[in-house]
Amino acid sequence: MANRLLEVEGLAKHFRGGGNWLSSGGDSIRAVDGVSFSVEEGETFALVGESGCGKTTVAKMILLLERPTRGAISFQGKDVSSFRGGSLREYKRLVQAVFQDPYSSLNPRMQVLDIIGEPLRVHQGMRGRDLRMRVGELLENVGLNPVTASFFPHQFSGGQRQRIAIARALALRPRLIVLDEPVSGLDVSIRAQILNLLVDLQRDLGLSYLLISHDLAIVEHMSHRVGVMYVGKMVELATRDEFYGNTLHPYSNALLSSVPQPDPDVPMGTTIGGEVASPINPPSGCRFHTRCPIYLETNMCREVEPEWREILSEHLTACHKVEPAVV
Amino acid sequence: MLRESKEDDILLRVEGLKTYFFQRTAVLKAVDGVSFSVAQGEAVGLVGESGSGKTMTCLSLMRLVPQPGARIVEGEIWFKGDNLLEMTEQEMRAYRGHRMAIVMQDPQTSLNPVYTVGEQVAEPVRLHLKERGQQAMARVLDSLRAVRIPRPELRLGQYPHQFSGGMRQRVVAAMGLTTQPELLIADEPTTSLDVTIQAQFLRLIRELQQDSGTSVIWVTHDLGIVAQMCDRVNVMYAGRIVESGRVRQIYKEPQHPYTRALLDSVPLMGARREKLYQIEGQPPDLRSIPEGCPFWPRCPEAMDKCKEQYPPRTSLGSEDFVHCWLTEEGR
Repeated sequence: MANRLLEVEGLAKHFRGGGNWLSSGGDSIRAVDGVSFSVEEGETFALVGESGCGKTTVAKMILLLERPTRGAISFQGKDVSSFRGGSLREYKRLVQAVFQDPYSSLNPRMQVLDIIGEPLRVHQGMRGRDLRMRVGELLENVGLNPVTASFFPHQFSGGQRQRIAIARALALRPRLIVLDEPVSGLDVSIRAQILNLLVDLQRDLGLSYLLISHDLAIVEHMSHRVGVMYVGKMVELATRDEFYGNTLHPYSNALLSSVPQPDPDVPMGTTIGGEVASPINPPSGCRFHTRCPIYLETNMCREVEPEWREILSEHLTACHKVEPAVV
Repeated sequence: MLRESKEDDILLRVEGLKTYFFQRTAVLKAVDGVSFSVAQGEAVGLVGESGSGKTMTCLSLMRLVPQPGARIVEGEIWFKGDNLLEMTEQEMRAYRGHRMAIVMQDPQTSLNPVYTVGEQVAEPVRLHLKERGQQAMARVLDSLRAVRIPRPELRLGQYPHQFSGGMRQRVVAAMGLTTQPELLIADEPTTSLDVTIQAQFLRLIRELQQDSGTSVIWVTHDLGIVAQMCDRVNVMYAGRIVESGRVRQIYKEPQHPYTRALLDSVPLMGARREKLYQIEGQPPDLRSIPEGCPFWPRCPEAMDKCKEQYPPRTSLGSEDFVHCWLTEEGR
């Protein structure tokens, strides 16, 4: 394997709430409940799942916007929670983010020069001509005219705003960029522009991406490895080709067959019923058992939480029905 | 499911529809000469990016364009033998929510939070079918059952906030379907839903359509939904339909460079493309739509002629057509 950049081990985040007006309910919302994965140098790791599966909470913990309840995040082999002062600043420099909505992630009262220049000023004390030069260079990197540095966000379209957000994320020469649904808010013709830009930047700058997405076609296009989450748990993790070619977990299968294919000759697959379970008092045993089409009639699935295990090389899943390949 | 539409089979026929927004300094041509038809039991897609005029076309069909500001300036909308644009507001009300219904994108805002779900689904029943009491209740229960809401007897006494997003969208669909409309307009009804929930909803609408023979207009930017749900598709750009055809035809052999570009720019599962096809530039600003074909500044095959004159309608057999100089000149 290539060099490990980020490693997440048994990560969990429980929130307060879920009670009524009389009791707080304690820490009973298990948004993330024991998730492990890694991101290697230069690769795109995708976290996939439906709303409420905890993928965004994982991203927030990596970005230090939420403190984990349990588990560890390490970056370049060092525990992130031990970072203080200089090392903490360095981590915040190396790990950047691009969010879904380019309308709310850019301050409408700041010029592009200041939006992109802010991290440069704060982290590197860059000022004046140097700053303008560097911002111009970044704008060119993301395909915008350097003249636009004096514009305000409202003067740009959604796709251009997302380019600005990417330029800001690139400003400090990061190693890892967390991409949280980076194209969901954009028009179809603009999506391709942004996805191509992200692929080019990764190749040119050797970046790693943690891609958070619910769009399995985009994930297949962009990622090297894929992890699927369901109600706070990872249910499957594999390389892209393994995942799309040899899907093991019934939930991953349901996700894949739910995507309406842009081809009239490929009929829609079988769908699963029910709704995404709530992280407040999640189902016992396997959390997917309430919707699972291959649920075992024995009480196994309902009572025993399936073990997270490697079924094939680099292909892990948590399902009672999947047997490890005989070695 | 695919059917050849004959003239007496046509439920809705839109001719040269123009809906403009009048602003102090400019006129926005949101819909600029749109013509298409929907046969009985047919599912027709209106595809396009934001600002292409697809939603405004639908609001025009319902005569619900935003007031003040927008106005239908020209065109005819024939619903069977009646031109909706010549009706009085009173007459129009008998169509809206009765013979034609709309399911909008956001189930959060299309339900009233202070009325129970039962009351809201019952409203079209009381208004249009003039049913009350037990009779109305039975119909409401039937429609909640039809959209597969579990335990409808219990659910109809609850408020929208007690429903999940997917369930709320079903309630909105139930509202639209209680009166058994002949035409259902689905305006991006699944954008806010998760994939597995979206798949359930799509399947549901398809079943209801097959059972009742309702015609559906699907408004969406999702080419997957169109491929799965529609018989015909109309591709819109800058307020006009630039290409129209049977779904299979359009997906296999798109004629308009914009249609082709759209299809090539989406990642396709299973077909690994090194790079996605990229349409340069942005959709045009409706205040200043380019002369000629509005797509020319982004079109890789634009010729001088494209910059001067809007291409005429080139028929591609049966009802299929395209507006592009390349096809027009090529024949």
